Amino acid sequence: MQVKKEVRQIAREMLRASFTDGQLDRGRVASVVDSILAKKPRNYLKILEYYKRLLRLEAEKRHARIETATALEPQITSQISLNLARRYGTDLTTEFAINQALLGGMRIRVGSDVWDSSIRNRLERLQQQL
Amino acid sequence: MSSILEEIETKIAGLKTSTTKSNIGTVRETGDGVARIEGLSDVMLNEMIEFPGGVFGLALNLEETEVGAILLGDATKISEGDEAKTTGRLLSVPVGKGLLGRVVNTLGEPLDGKGEVKSETFYPLEKIAPGVIKRRSVSQPVQTGIMAIDAMIPIGRGQRELIIGDRATGKTTIGIDTIISQARLNKAGEDSKSKDYRPLYCIYVAIGQKNSNVARVLAVLEKEDAMRYSTIISAPASDSATNQYLAPFAGAAMGEWFMDNGMDALIIYDDLSKHAVAYRQVSLVLKRPSGREAYPGDVFYLHSRLLERAARVSDEYGGGSVTALPIIETQAGDVSAYIPTNVISITDGQIYLETDLFYQGVRPAISVGLSVSRVGSAAQIKAIKQVAGKVKLDLAQFRELAAFAQFGSDLDAATKARLDRGQRIVELFKQIQYNPIPVELQVAVMWAMQNGFIDPVPVERVKEFQNKLQDFLQTRKESLLASIRQKKQLDAELEANLKATLEEFSATKPVG
Ligand SMILES: Nc1ncnc2c1ncn2[C@@H]1O[C@H](COP(=O)(O)OP(=O)(O)OP(=O)(O)O)[C@@H](O)[C@H]1O
Ligand SMILES: [Mg+2]
Repeated sequence: MQVKKEVRQIAREMLRASFTDGQLDRGRVASVVDSILAKKPRNYLKILEYYKRLLRLEAEKRHARIETATALEPQITSQISLNLARRYGTDLTTEFAINQALLGGMRIRVGSDVWDSSIRNRLERLQQQL
Repeated sequence: MSSILEEIETKIAGLKTSTTKSNIGTVRETGDGVARIEGLSDVMLNEMIEFPGGVFGLALNLEETEVGAILLGDATKISEGDEAKTTGRLLSVPVGKGLLGRVVNTLGEPLDGKGEVKSETFYPLEKIAPGVIKRRSVSQPVQTGIMAIDAMIPIGRGQRELIIGDRATGKTTIGIDTIISQARLNKAGEDSKSKDYRPLYCIYVAIGQKNSNVARVLAVLEKEDAMRYSTIISAPASDSATNQYLAPFAGAAMGEWFMDNGMDALIIYDDLSKHAVAYRQVSLVLKRPSGREAYPGDVFYLHSRLLERAARVSDEYGGGSVTALPIIETQAGDVSAYIPTNVISITDGQIYLETDLFYQGVRPAISVGLSVSRVGSAAQIKAIKQVAGKVKLDLAQFRELAAFAQFGSDLDAATKARLDRGQRIVELFKQIQYNPIPVELQVAVMWAMQNGFIDPVPVERVKEFQNKLQDFLQTRKESLLASIRQKKQLDAELEANLKATLEEFSATKPVG
């Protein structure tokens, strides 16, 4: 998707205005969108679309998905959430999921970063190395 | 056996504890051999990206929210929503002597059905060229075996000399002849077991050509037993634009291995016009902005980056070299088009081939006036300089005079002598393809010309005289040739020997 420079710039400024104390702020997001809709600058639909995309990527960066082959004890999940929040900030949301294909171990994805200690990953690497 | 088991043990031990960190993204769009991926926030330019099913891509466009990657494998295996992963590796090809004698594709995979390529070393396609501190100036010759080139437009190891001309003017043939010449010299060097001889290995990169053309090159090189010192990289017209775009860089990587290991390599890029077209296509699908003649704005940088990698490194760094002979095809002789001007400005000179000359039977169809080599004369052996020093000027003057003489009938004796000499030099420089002439033979023939032994021969029989002379020298005067080869310059003794030999030969009335 080729997005005009001007569109990207405005959308980026909107994103910058959407934070309070380093955290995404729903109220601010709403007011930023309202003000664009009121002014209707050139390409405003494209701007909103690109802004939405930036927001989504931003939200993904603040969301952790933790996959394991079998369900975890509640005590362990809360410990993991706590550890991740310490690293990524308290506004990090967490989501736990079961993925049997991992065979064992754990896979954590935050934004585009992935930590993988699953058995599947080790087997795949072993296969590549040999 | 036990060491293999140990190795596996340590690998498993390494895996047991480790958690891998990787950077991933999601495919948003794919088509035309390109994938657009969201995420991959840590990806580097030119990094390999892994897709499911073992398909790899190359990250070429890094944008704010997404990455544009060209796909190197089966693009149909990839669909929207697939996960893509950074690998931390740059695209690399196998390098080393195991590639000699082989025909491979852009990724270094065999195309010749001769089994796996034997190589343990891999080099990235993109590499920073040696800096000025590591480089040294050109001082060793590349003997093309083409008399007109070795005499007038000499090429040195580490040089970048462009071969430019319209279609079907003999561009590829100059490259092939040069490879054949190296093969003969390499073989002679090997047989003599001389420590001073530095073999020159050749890499021929075919970009966007018909398969039949590549097959022709291969057949000739095999027939001349030149493949043992050569590698062919083929990215034909039927291959993807991506592979065509990357092929010369694969060639550069393979050449660099020789240079890094103190050896000499020569790379022929046939041709960079088609390469530019492939790059334009890749850029188009990556939706990059385009500039002049619809080429992407950085096509100049693309070619300078490639040719910058030709160099000769100083002895401290092993003294190896990479020589580049890029080829450019012009349209109706127009060297002022975008791509030709670019490449002319990047190279150290050009061999310009002309359609008119080609059809007049002057083959190789080298235009003396427009061809130059800016650094090569430093590499010419002294004997060639002694006999060919003035030849380029003589020929250029001859062309002017010949044009003038068409209009006037009374020419003074001096002008007429010049014209006669010029016509004979043109004849001497006509040379049949795949027939490189060793440098000592070139010296002897040109000495004969400079010393008037060819003046009495009728123009139309000069070639015949030359061929007979070469035969005579090779069969009966091998020791004279050998001493030119060894001394590399003509001293009084050699000149006396040449004179006696030529008198003896002329006395046989070779052309009646
Ligand atoms: N010195 C030569 N003597 C005789 N024939 C030659 C000579 N050089 C080239 N030819 C012939 O001329 C034809 C064109 O040569 P070649 O394929 O090298 O040209 P090219 O410029 O590379 O062509 P293209 O534009 O198709 O790539 C070939 O048939 C070749 O055999
Ligand atoms: Mg050709």
